[in-house]
Amino acid sequence: MKKFISFGIALPVAMILVIWSCGTDSTEEAEVPQVYSFNPTPYVIPDVAYFPKNLNIPSDNPMTIEGVELGRYLFYDGRLSGNTSKDMLMSCATCHVQKNGFEAGMDNPRFINGKTFGLPTEEYPEGEPTPNYMLPLVNSVYNQNGFGWNGFINESNEYRGNEEFNVPATKEFHYKNIESMVWMSITASHEMNSTIEKSVAAIDAIPMYKAKFKAAFGTEDVNYDRISKSIAQFVRSIVSYNSKFHKYLRQEADLTAQEKKGHDLFFSEDADCFHCHGGSVLMTTNEYFNNAKDKSFDPKEKNRFSVTGDPMDIGAFRAPSLINIELTAPYMHDGRFKTLDEIIDFYSEGLVYSDYVHPLMKNVRQKGVQLNDDDKAALKAFLLTLTDNELIQSPQYACPPELVKWNGQASVN
Amino acid sequence: MLKFQFILFVFGVFIIFSSCTKNDDQDNEVKSGKLVFNFEHFANGEELSYDQMIYTNAAGNQYEVSEIQWFISDITLHGKDGSKLLLDPEKFAHYIDTNIPETFTWSISDKIPAGEYQSISMTFGIRGEKNKPYMFTDPPESNMLWPMNLGGDQGGYHYMKLNGFWKNKDNQREPFNFHLGVGQERDADNNVIGFVQNWFETELPNSAFSIEKNETKSITIRMNVDKWWDQPNIYNHDEHGGKIMQNQNAMRMGVENGKNVFSLGKMTSIVK
Repeated sequence: MKKFISFGIALPVAMILVIWSCGTDSTEEAEVPQVYSFNPTPYVIPDVAYFPKNLNIPSDNPMTIEGVELGRYLFYDGRLSGNTSKDMLMSCATCHVQKNGFEAGMDNPRFINGKTFGLPTEEYPEGEPTPNYMLPLVNSVYNQNGFGWNGFINESNEYRGNEEFNVPATKEFHYKNIESMVWMSITASHEMNSTIEKSVAAIDAIPMYKAKFKAAFGTEDVNYDRISKSIAQFVRSIVSYNSKFHKYLRQEADLTAQEKKGHDLFFSEDADCFHCHGGSVLMTTNEYFNNAKDKSFDPKEKNRFSVTGDPMDIGAFRAPSLINIELTAPYMHDGRFKTLDEIIDFYSEGLVYSDYVHPLMKNVRQKGVQLNDDDKAALKAFLLTLTDNELIQSPQYACPPELVKWNGQASVN
Repeated sequence: MLKFQFILFVFGVFIIFSSCTKNDDQDNEVKSGKLVFNFEHFANGEELSYDQMIYTNAAGNQYEVSEIQWFISDITLHGKDGSKLLLDPEKFAHYIDTNIPETFTWSISDKIPAGEYQSISMTFGIRGEKNKPYMFTDPPESNMLWPMNLGGDQGGYHYMKLNGFWKNKDNQREPFNFHLGVGQERDADNNVIGFVQNWFETELPNSAFSIEKNETKSITIRMNVDKWWDQPNIYNHDEHGGKIMQNQNAMRMGVENGKNVFSLGKMTSIVK
């Protein structure tokens, strides 16, 4: 009887609990579609033999297929400059041209000899020249050592905003990573010469982006944070690993005798390129060197010294990746060399000593590595094997067809 | 009843054995310590000062040091009974870079059995069979690549890059790259016909030590930079110039001197 009473009490209580529990579930189920409907697909950087395994992907901006795709559209959309008139469009791709290894290139119809400038301003009706020539965007996802010629953009940088360009010193306007370069490009007078508000409003006004922002970030809201993150995702997706040299390393291609001779010169102290440009398959160490270009240095120059304060960094700049070097002229931060031949001649017999020269420039007292004509031709032949034709033709990185008229490239307008 | 007693007996035995096993584990746990190696760079008996032309080597060359990047590997403890304990065999090699202070410490992941050890030995560089090209995919280690055309398939990485300047015979400040790695055998036409493994093992002088259970011992390994150019070979930068990766004779001199380069610095107990 006692058992029966207990059971008689327990059963209804249990049923109430079950029903209440079910009721709770059903309430949650009603909310589930809203909470969990945002499920973007992770974007995976290919795991390629010999390539770095540590990727520069911030924890607050994981790569997704939807984010990369939105970033691709924004990368090519000249309305990011806040303008809609044809002669005032500027996108990332206006300067970073795929067929030129994502640099302007010597053949650029808008930027003669690869010298870029911003949209017209009152002070500069033809556009203010950008201070330095371009750096390649490819393989940025593998770079852990700062961005820009002097590495000013890096994770330990605590600066925020820019008073000159009316950008507030708030946390989203940092100088830490690829995301930072988006606001810097939008607001710089020598680039898009816009404001954050104007550019965000311009993108917000384009109906097709609603669905793309929702797919990438869960809602249709357009804001600066999402714009910068998606463009950074697209830039990180641009990886180059299919040059002839890379295929040679993977035993998928052979070098000609002349290319092999150039390879052996490059990877030896005879031409001695590899200490700065060949430590990894990225064809750069991403380190900073004074490479014996000059005898004296302008104290106002924004070289590596302006970041570190170390006198040994005076006149030092990043050693850029040589992948696609055939396409990325002019060379050096100031574009002083227009051809591969000029570059090779410089390292062969054009070095000049200063007290700040990096010790890896060990031939500086001999003015260079002193290559003969055959060596120079071989070295050039090897450098040409660094072109990744698959990258520069890949539709994965190309301008979306519906944006061609909006991307601000003189060649397609 | 007998069956019940048997089950009780088996259960009791199980409890006792499992209890013993646990005690053994605990004993092993408490009878070991940890080792942390630190690295420092000296010249003429004092801590190295960088980028200052204040040193003179045995050949009379004035010199300054800009940076040193090098690999130590296969640190081994030698017991009094002749036993050897290879430390951190999975990692096996540690990269040290004077530009990156974080590299000045190698915390050994192994538990070190408590007891007395007669000596510590190390390998300068990386043994050939472990020195595989492109095994390091990420910087900074990947930047130490020693190209295959100079080192074959057992010479993947520099043992050391020691970069600086010396006052040459014309009294000019000239860069030198004292880079050590696999050397080349060459024929009369200077073609590479073989490779020379230049890594070496060295026993650290006066490196006997003991470690107690639960102790973390910090041991400092010191590179005495001036010794690279001192004994037994007097190395003259004017003679060998700024680059030696393809000069086995110069590298051989450095490697022979290298056996006198390393000594023991401070040895302290961090946690007890």
